[in-house]
Amino acid sequence: MAKDAEKSTWKDFIWNSRTREFCGRTGSSWGLILLFYLVFYIFLAGMFCLTMYVMLQTLDDYKPTWQDRLGTPGMMIRPRGKAMEISYNTTNTETWDMYIKTLDNFLSPYNNSLQAEKNEECTPDQYFVQADSGDVKNNPKRSCQFNRTFLEKCSGLDDHTYGYQAGKPCIIIKLNRVIGMLPGKDGQAPFVTCGAKRYKVGKDEWKEDSDKIGEVEYYPENGTFNLMYYPYYGKKAQVNYSQPLVAIKFLNITLNEDINIECRIISNNIPPGSVRDKFAGKVSFKLRINTKG
Amino acid sequence: MSSLCLQDSYDMFEMNGEVDVKMKKKKKIKKKDRLEGMKKEMDIVSVSKSLTLSPLLPLKSPQGLTSSKAAEVLERDGPNELLPPKGTPEYVKFARQLAGGLQCLMWVAAVICFIAFGIEFSRGTLGCFDDLYLAITLITVVVVTGCFGYYQEFKSTNIIASFKNLVPQQALVIRDGQKNQINAMDLVVGDLVEIKGGDRVPADIRIIFAQGCKVDNSSLTGESEPQSKTPECTHENPLETKNIAFFSTTCLEGVATGTVINTGDRTIIGRIASLASGVGNEKTPIAIEIEHFVDIIAGLAIFFGFTFFVVAMFIGYAFLEAMIFFMAIVVAYVPEGLLATVTVCLSLTAKRLARKNCVVKNLEAVETLGSTSVICSDKTGTLTQNRMTVAHLWFDNVIHAADTTEDQSGQSFDQSSETWRSLARVAGLCNRAIFKPNQESLPIPRRIVVGDASETALLKFTELAIGNMMEYRERFKKVVEVPFNSTNKFQLSVHELEDPMDLRYLLVMKGAPERILERCSTILIKGQEMPLDEQWREAFQTAYMDLGSLGERVLGFCHIYLNENEFPRGYKFDSDEMNFTTSGLCFAGLISMIDPPRATVPDAVMKCRHHSLPHCDHPITARAIAANVGIITEGSETVEDIATRKRIPVEQVNRRDARACVISGGQLKDMSSEELDEALRSHPEMVFARTSPQQKLIIVESCQRLGSIVAVTGDGVNDSPALKKADIGIAMGIAGSDAAKNAADMILLDDNFASIVTGVEQGRLIFDNLKKSIAYTLTKNIPELTPYLIYITVSVPLPLGCITILMIELATDIFPSVSLAYEKAESDIMHLKPRNPRKDRLVNESLAAYSYFQIGAIQSFAGFTDYFTAMAQEGWYPLLCVGLRSHWEDVHLQDLQDSYGQEWEWTSRLYQQYTCYTVFFISIEICQIADVLIRKTRRLSIFQQGFFRNKVLVSAIVFQLLLGNLLCYCPGMPNIFNFMPIRGQWWFVPIPYGILIFVYDEIRKLGVRRHPGSK
Repeated sequence: MAKDAEKSTWKDFIWNSRTREFCGRTGSSWGLILLFYLVFYIFLAGMFCLTMYVMLQTLDDYKPTWQDRLGTPGMMIRPRGKAMEISYNTTNTETWDMYIKTLDNFLSPYNNSLQAEKNEECTPDQYFVQADSGDVKNNPKRSCQFNRTFLEKCSGLDDHTYGYQAGKPCIIIKLNRVIGMLPGKDGQAPFVTCGAKRYKVGKDEWKEDSDKIGEVEYYPENGTFNLMYYPYYGKKAQVNYSQPLVAIKFLNITLNEDINIECRIISNNIPPGSVRDKFAGKVSFKLRINTKG
Repeated sequence: MSSLCLQDSYDMFEMNGEVDVKMKKKKKIKKKDRLEGMKKEMDIVSVSKSLTLSPLLPLKSPQGLTSSKAAEVLERDGPNELLPPKGTPEYVKFARQLAGGLQCLMWVAAVICFIAFGIEFSRGTLGCFDDLYLAITLITVVVVTGCFGYYQEFKSTNIIASFKNLVPQQALVIRDGQKNQINAMDLVVGDLVEIKGGDRVPADIRIIFAQGCKVDNSSLTGESEPQSKTPECTHENPLETKNIAFFSTTCLEGVATGTVINTGDRTIIGRIASLASGVGNEKTPIAIEIEHFVDIIAGLAIFFGFTFFVVAMFIGYAFLEAMIFFMAIVVAYVPEGLLATVTVCLSLTAKRLARKNCVVKNLEAVETLGSTSVICSDKTGTLTQNRMTVAHLWFDNVIHAADTTEDQSGQSFDQSSETWRSLARVAGLCNRAIFKPNQESLPIPRRIVVGDASETALLKFTELAIGNMMEYRERFKKVVEVPFNSTNKFQLSVHELEDPMDLRYLLVMKGAPERILERCSTILIKGQEMPLDEQWREAFQTAYMDLGSLGERVLGFCHIYLNENEFPRGYKFDSDEMNFTTSGLCFAGLISMIDPPRATVPDAVMKCRHHSLPHCDHPITARAIAANVGIITEGSETVEDIATRKRIPVEQVNRRDARACVISGGQLKDMSSEELDEALRSHPEMVFARTSPQQKLIIVESCQRLGSIVAVTGDGVNDSPALKKADIGIAMGIAGSDAAKNAADMILLDDNFASIVTGVEQGRLIFDNLKKSIAYTLTKNIPELTPYLIYITVSVPLPLGCITILMIELATDIFPSVSLAYEKAESDIMHLKPRNPRKDRLVNESLAAYSYFQIGAIQSFAGFTDYFTAMAQEGWYPLLCVGLRSHWEDVHLQDLQDSYGQEWEWTSRLYQQYTCYTVFFISIEICQIADVLIRKTRRLSIFQQGFFRNKVLVSAIVFQLLLGNLLCYCPGMPNIFNFMPIRGQWWFVPIPYGILIFVYDEIRKLGVRRHPGSK
C-alpha cells in the first residue's frame, strides 16, 4: 500500500493533472523560469562577448603580447612520416612515393623563380632587421630568398626521388618560426647537427645507433640557417616569408634496421630547453630502409 | 505468604527465561518481531498472574550458602554484573565511516575512474594516468576523512569510558554462617546478603528481614519516592511488591537481609538493558539529508553525462571515447572536497559542544538536536535537581517561599517571627537524618545525608537557617522517639530543653498535616498560642490545598511542652506504649517540599518551546513541575483544567481545546497506538506520568510515526531503550547509568538541561552553516565541469585539468568552506520553528539550481574569459582555438601554427595548456572569494552581517590566496601539479565577474528580504 502511494506521488510529481503541474511547477512557472534563465544567460553571454571584444582590441595584430613558451624553438622534419617514423622499401615504389610527393609539395614555394619574383636577395650572415619607426609600421615587411637550389642534392631538381630510391634519403629540417627570434649572436649562424639518439631498451639500459648512421651530408653547407632570414615578423607583416631549411642526406645508412636519429640546433644564444622538454631545439625520428621485398 | 510470593515471582522469572529460549530458537525472525517479543516479555513481568509449577527454592538457613556451593553456582551462572551490550566491533565502526552517502558516491566515482583508466591505458591514450590519480585521490579522501571521523568518535568514546565507575561494588554476604565483605560480582543466586542505608542493592533480592528499609527505585521506574521494603508480599507484580529489592537501586535507610534470586543480566535491570540493545538505531537526519543530496548530485551527473554522451556520439566521437567522456563528466560531478568539509564542520561543532559539556558520541548527531522537533525529557534529575528541597512554609497564616535555588542565591523570607523559631526547632529536632561526617568544607546543599528525602530536605533547610544542627540536637537531648509508620502517619520525639534550669520536656511531632491537626488544640500565631477554632482550621485547609496543588509534599509540625509535674525528669517514656501526651498539641506550621526545577531549566524550556514530554512520578506533581519549568505554558489548560473552569464533567470537554495534557502510565497502557498518536497530535504540550521503560519506548515510536525528530533525555537504565530508539538520545553524565550512556548519542557532562539548548542552538547553526558550506562547495562544480564540456563539444585545448580540479577541491577551497562553519547565526535561530524534515532540506532543488546554474555559470564565464585571454595573448585567437584539439594534442606535431604564424612544438603547447589550467584555476579562486562572501548570509545583506566579523573566514581567504600563489609560483609546480607561473594581469581578468557575483547576490537578497516567501 505504501508502495502504491509512493508510485502515485512519483507520477504526480512528473505530471499532476489536478494542479496542472509538471515536475512540481505549473507551465507558466516553468515558462518564467526558462525566461529568467534565457535573459540571464543572454546577459552573461553578452558580458562575455564584451570582455572578449575588449580583450581582442588590446591585442597587437603583428606580435603576440607574450611569448612565454617559445624561448627555445622546436624543430620539425619533412617528410613527417607516420608518427615521426620514416620507413620504406627501396624496391617498392609505393612505400616511398608519398614522401616524394610531400617533399615536392613542401619545396614548391622555394622554387627559384617563385623566390626571385616575391622575395629579394639579402646580405648574408647578418640579420635583416626592418624596424618600425615609432608608431609608423614599416609594413609589409620584405623577406629574403631561400632558393630551392640551396638544398643541392636534396632539392629534388636533379634527383626526383630525393635519394629515396637509392636508399640515401633526404630529410628536410626546419626550425620553428618565432616572431622576433634572433638565433645567433656575434654573426654566428645556428646550424643543425644530427646524430644517433640514445634510447632506452630496458631498465637503465641505453643504446644508440651511432655506428649505423654512416655518413651524413648537410645542405646548405654545415647545415646552417643563415642569419639573414631572421628576425621573423609574423605572417601578417611578412606575408612571403621563406623559412630557411636544412637538408640532410644519409649516404650509407645501415639498411633493414630501425635507426633512431636526433637532430639538434646548435646556437650560441638559443637556451637549451628544459630537460623535460623533449622537443625544444631538437627533433628525433626513426628511419628504416628495407631493401628486401 | 512470603514464600508463596517468592515462588510466584521466581516463577515469573523462570517463565521469562523460557521466552528467552524460545526467542533464541527463532533467531531468524525479524529484528522488529524480536523487539515486539521483548516488549511482550516485559509485559509478562508486569502483568503475569500465573502461578506455574516450579521447584520451590529451598529455604535458606541463616548460615547462607556454603562457599563451595556458591563457587559452583557462580561457575554455572557467571558473575553478577551487567554484561556491557555487545559493542559494535571497531572494524565495523570504521567501515561505517566509509559507507555514508557521500562516501558511496565517491567509491562509485573511484570505480568509474579505474574503468576509464583501464580503457584508456589499453588504448595507450596519453594522460590516462590522470584517471588513476583521480581514483587514488578519491579513495584517499574517503579513507582519510573516515579515519578522521573514526578518531573523533573514538575520542568521545574515551571521554565517556573515563566516566565509568571503576570501584568494584562490595556486598555483605553471609556464607558458611559468617559475614563476609565480597565483590558484588561474585554473588550467586541463593546467597544471603545484608544491605543497609547507603548501599546499592547488589542483585535482585527477596527480603526476608527488614527494619525501616527504604529503597530508591528511581533508576528503574523513574519514581523518586522511596519505596519501603518489607518481607511481606504485597503485590503479584514483582515491580510493585514490597519484598523484592532490585539490583542497582539504592537503599536509602534502614537495614534488610534477603536472598539473592537473580544475578547479572537475569535481573530486571539486566532485562531492561538488553531491551535497549534490541532497539534499532535510527538514521540521523543529517545522514538522510546527505543521501537526498547525493540523489540530486547523482541525478544531475547522470543527466549531464548522458546528454553529453549523446552529443559526443552525434558529433562523431567513437563509442568508447564518448563512454569515457560520460564517465569523466559523472566523476567531475562528484564534489571531492565536500566530504572533508562536512566532516570537519561537524567535528568543529562537536568540539564546541564538548566545551559546553555536551559530548557527542556520533558526529552526525551534532546536527540532530538542531532539527529536533520533540524533546522527551525525564523529570528526575534533568529538569529538576533530583533532591527534595523545602519550597514553602506556612506559619502565622502566611505562605512563605523558601529559597530553592541550587546555590542559595534566592530571596529568603522573614525569619523574625517567634513562630518560625518554634517551627524550625520542631523541624530540626523531629528528624532522624544526619550528615555523613567530615563534610564541613562542602556547601550545605551538596553534603551527603543519611536519611529519607524529606528529612534530608528538612535537615539541610534547618542547617541553613539555624546553623549547626548536629550541635543543636546535642543541646536538646533526645529522650524518646517514635519513628514514622504508615498507621499513625506521624513521627515524634521528646527532648530535654537546652536551658538546664527548665526541667520540662519538649515533645515535637511532624507528619501528614491532617493527622497533625487532629491532635492539636492550639495554633501558634506570632509566637502566641491561640485556640484552634474553625477560622484557623479553614485557613489551614486553604494553605494545605494551595501547597498541595503546587505538587509539593506537605508536612505538618506541632509541639508541646510536657507538664513538668506529670512528666518529671527521669520519667520512663515508652515509645511503644506512648505513655505521654499526644493530643492537644500546639500547631506550629506547615512545610512543603518539592524536587525543584533547576534554575536554568525554565529559561531553557522557553528557548526550546517544542513540546516536551517529561516522565514524572505523580500526575499532579508532573503537572506542577511542568507548569513550573514552562513546559505547560501559562494559559494552556489540560482537559481537567477546562472541566474545573467550566464546571462540567471531564467527559464533556472537547479534547481539542486543551493544549496541554497529562497522561499517566496507567492510562497509557489502555491506549491504542492510534489513540496515542491522536493525543500527541492534538496536544502540543504533553506530560506523561509514571511510565515504564516500554511505555517510554512506545511514546518515542509514536512521535516518530508522526514525523517528528525526537530527542530523549534520561539517566536511568529504564530510559535506555527510549534513548536508543530516539533520533538522538541524551544521557546525563553524572547521574546517568552506564546503560543510558551506552545507548545515548550525546552526553551532558554537567547534567544540565540548559546544555540541551546549547546543543539545539549549535545543531541549528551547523545546519544553516552546512547549507552555506555545501552551496559554496557545489558552486565550483560547474566551472570545473564546463571546461570539459566545451573541450568535448567545441574541441578547444583543455582549459582545466584533473589535478587542478583536485587542487581546488582539496586544497584551496577546503579552508574557506570550513570557515563558514564559524559564521554567526543570521537571526535568533531559537525563535524559528524546528525545521520540517520533509520540506526544509539541507540541499533543495532551488539551492542547487542557484549554485549550479547561476553563480556557477558566472564563474564558468569568468574562467573562459581568462582562458581565452591567456590563449590570445600568447598567440592563439579564440576562433583559432575552436576545433584545434586534435592538432593541439598530437604529440608528433612539432610545428603547429598559431594566429601569428609562429610554430609551436608539443611541449610548449602542453605548458601553454598548463597555463590555461592555472588561469582557469585563478578565475575560479577569485570567483570563489566572492562566493564565500555572499554565502556568509542567506537573507541578510553582507553589509549587515559585517565583512570581517568572521575572523576565520578572513584568514581563510588570505590562506586561499597564498596557497594559490604558492601553487602558481613555486618552482617545480609545472611538472608536479601542472601549475604554471602566470602573468600578474591574468589575476585581474575574472575580477569583474567576481563583482558581478557579489552584486547579483546582494540584489537577490534584497529581493528575498523585500518579498519574503516568494521564489
